[in-house]
Amino acid sequence: MAEPAVPGRTFDDEALPHLDALYRVALRLTADASQAEDLVQDTMLKAYRSWKQYRPGTNAKGWLLTILRNTFINDYRRRKHEPIPMDLEAVESHIIDRSIQEADPEGTFFSQIVDARVVEAIDGLPHDFREVLVLSDIEGLRYAEIADMLHIPVGTVKSRLFRARRLLQQQLYSHAVEMGYIQPRESPT
Amino acid sequence: MSGVDCAQALIHLDDFLKRELTPELMAEVRLHLDRCRDCFEHARFEESFLTMLELRGTRETCPAKLRARILALLRAEAGEH
Repeated sequence: MAEPAVPGRTFDDEALPHLDALYRVALRLTADASQAEDLVQDTMLKAYRSWKQYRPGTNAKGWLLTILRNTFINDYRRRKHEPIPMDLEAVESHIIDRSIQEADPEGTFFSQIVDARVVEAIDGLPHDFREVLVLSDIEGLRYAEIADMLHIPVGTVKSRLFRARRLLQQQLYSHAVEMGYIQPRESPT
Repeated sequence: MSGVDCAQALIHLDDFLKRELTPELMAEVRLHLDRCRDCFEHARFEESFLTMLELRGTRETCPAKLRARILALLRAEAGEH
């Protein structure tokens, strides 16, 4: 057992509750279940070995996810090809989500989309957008924690998040129209 | 208190929903949303999107076999020291 960095708290106490989150983020980053498993395992071993560097009182989840992300960047990322990025210019304005909102003001169509399709749409986002969306909107890290982890300004975290959300809304909206969950709003003439 | 208008509320909306604003701004945006139906509707839509994301995005869990493997590795690691 590693020496407790937090009085009375062992590595197991601090780290094991976050295994699900680590696995989910690993899945989103690698897009491959077996690589995700290896990544989580490597992360936990590294974290265990550097447990003494963990600063008590900080967010253990953020600390572990930082190790996971660095391990991914250093050891895993080069193994796979990134998908061709989407047309990012297409998501610039508020107009797009306004029109989605007008077609379904309460956003009820979101609830009709199956989990697998939501996850697929997240996995289809360009890496930089997917990363901040997963860390913020799924795993609940604060903007400042994400900025530290990614070595980018908070403003960049926010602008990536903004675009990631709009892209995802668009994808899910198109899917909902395709599946007939929602009637497309006619363009104004 | 001057409060925020629709344009400012829209700019701050994402941060408001993530509770990333100062307490003063949180209160001002909330006040605006209470009074402006259009912005309220917009906020509700965005909120339902974020709620859906968190719900759908956190259903996957670490496989039991992986958990067991990691625990065994940690025990072995502890035994070496």
